[in-house]
Amino acid sequence: MNVGVARSDDNPTHYYFSQRGMWVSYILIIFMAHLLILSMPFFSTPVAWTLTNVLHDVAMFMILHVTKGTPWLTLDAGKARTETQWEQIDNGEQFTPTKKFLTIVPMALFFLASFYTKYDTVHFVINAGFCALSIIPKLPQFHGVRFFGINQWCR
Amino acid sequence: MAIIPATWDMYEMFQAIFQAPTYHLIFEALLILWIIKLIFSKSYAPGKTVLTEKEKEALIEDWHPEPLAPDVPDDHPVLQAMNNNIISGKAEKYVTVRGKRCINMATLNFLGMVGDESIEAVTIKCLRKYGVGSCGPRGFYGTMDVHLELEDRLAKFMHCEEAILYSYGFATIASAIPAYSKRGDVIFCDEGVCFAIQKGLVASRSLIKYFKHNNMEDLERLLLEQQAEDQRNPKKAKATRRFLVVEGLYNKHGDICPLPKLIELKWKYKLRIFVEESFSFGVLGASGRGITEHFGINVDEIDLIAASLENSIGSCGGFCCGKKYVIDHQRLSGLGYCFSASLPPMLATAAIEALNIMERDPGICQTLRNNCRMVHDGLSKLSYFHVGSDPLAPIQHLYLTEPSADRDLDTCTLQKIADEAIKNGVALTLSRYLEAEEHHLPLPSIRVAVNAKLSNEEITKVVATIAEASRTVLCTSSL
Repeated sequence: MNVGVARSDDNPTHYYFSQRGMWVSYILIIFMAHLLILSMPFFSTPVAWTLTNVLHDVAMFMILHVTKGTPWLTLDAGKARTETQWEQIDNGEQFTPTKKFLTIVPMALFFLASFYTKYDTVHFVINAGFCALSIIPKLPQFHGVRFFGINQWCR
Repeated sequence: MAIIPATWDMYEMFQAIFQAPTYHLIFEALLILWIIKLIFSKSYAPGKTVLTEKEKEALIEDWHPEPLAPDVPDDHPVLQAMNNNIISGKAEKYVTVRGKRCINMATLNFLGMVGDESIEAVTIKCLRKYGVGSCGPRGFYGTMDVHLELEDRLAKFMHCEEAILYSYGFATIASAIPAYSKRGDVIFCDEGVCFAIQKGLVASRSLIKYFKHNNMEDLERLLLEQQAEDQRNPKKAKATRRFLVVEGLYNKHGDICPLPKLIELKWKYKLRIFVEESFSFGVLGASGRGITEHFGINVDEIDLIAASLENSIGSCGGFCCGKKYVIDHQRLSGLGYCFSASLPPMLATAAIEALNIMERDPGICQTLRNNCRMVHDGLSKLSYFHVGSDPLAPIQHLYLTEPSADRDLDTCTLQKIADEAIKNGVALTLSRYLEAEEHHLPLPSIRVAVNAKLSNEEITKVVATIAEASRTVLCTSSL
């Protein structure tokens, strides 16, 4: 959890989510985005919360489970190009603090969204669906799994 | 619910919890269980299997190490050639093999620069001044005035804007190709190129398309294929560089590339052409400027010329020359240039002196060509061989007219002929390849290297000796 320290690891994806301030920044970004959506006059509070949840889940799905390789370092031509960001975090180790944190955040957002939408059925279906999209790929059982070859790395 | 005061803002929200549908509560309960499980699960790295002592033993038991050196029979022709053909003294026009003085038709000393006394004199003078090594790469304390002078002289000699000096002939083209061509680029390459080019192609990680040796129809077929491909995907084609790599005079075949046709295709299909001139530099052209002078083509039509200084020049290292902006790119991207100690200054001086000799007396190249023609004509008359090389080539490949199906057998036969020739005072060698690694392996041959210093009598003797040796070996073995 150090910043500006020399590392022997040449792939930043392995560790940048564990760096100091990263968790707080992540939460702050979600909060700011939520305030931004809430400030739009035509969104009611339940819609704003569902939007926050959906946008967060889609964004994190794209960032963690779709992007492969090393976006912060284009030189890498090794194993990393076949792996998603999530698979690279902490060198692929499971149940590390960072990975636990990244799994709990979408769940917490779901609880909040449910609370602010007053447990409405339509909102529930949307929120639960996107929550599942965000947390199911994080299961250790799905490490390296590509359903129907979607997002498969190919030459 | 009386616990929450009805006046509070969030009253309604909390009220909703108690009216939440059952499925929602179940879903949330599952999530909470999941969180609890997450908190209490230990982290582990996947894919690490733990072996028991017994499994370890079994694995160690199963492992049979390969020998560090492969098991080669003692009578392998290459081993025998290495043990038998030990020379003493300088490898100049005459060479002493196993105590026997022979005419040297084996080393690639085309212009007789090895053994030249004026070159030796300036080299020794330079050795006294600079010592042996240059102590560093060019960009890091390794640049001496003689390196800059040699680069300047080579550029002027070849009528190019700039030349770059490498310290090893093999590394010159093997570094130059990957300096320009990268992954995603396409290289069209003749099948008969030498091993150094093949290594350069591999190092470039580009897509390699080999065309048949000196076959322009085959090359054009590949180029048309590429054109169709490019039209299908113009966005990709925009970012794809296309290279054409050929040798001026092919080491493996001894023939000359059809440069005018290649230039025509280069402009037609927008290629960048690299010409390897290790065997044509100092050989072809009125004053030894290589394939461009031979065909009377402006040197600016070629994007990059690379040549070794180890053949005609009789020194060490190699150089590339061309336009300034092309060549300068190698000063940071040519791996052999950046990361290898520069050419020992005395060898650079030797190359400068060799260039002086070539400039003072351009007739030396004409003499070489006359000798080549004479050797070629003489060898063409031999009954057991056919000569694959061009009459102008200083390397004449002698192939058996009736080769057997067994490559090793032919190699042995040729080696016997070479040994017989050495006994009679003509040093010969076979063309040798890393057979498993060559892209396109030519037939086994005796490689006769012609020297400009040979007199007509000596050439007659060489031809007569080869004829005699082949008769001795082939007649006795067939009986």
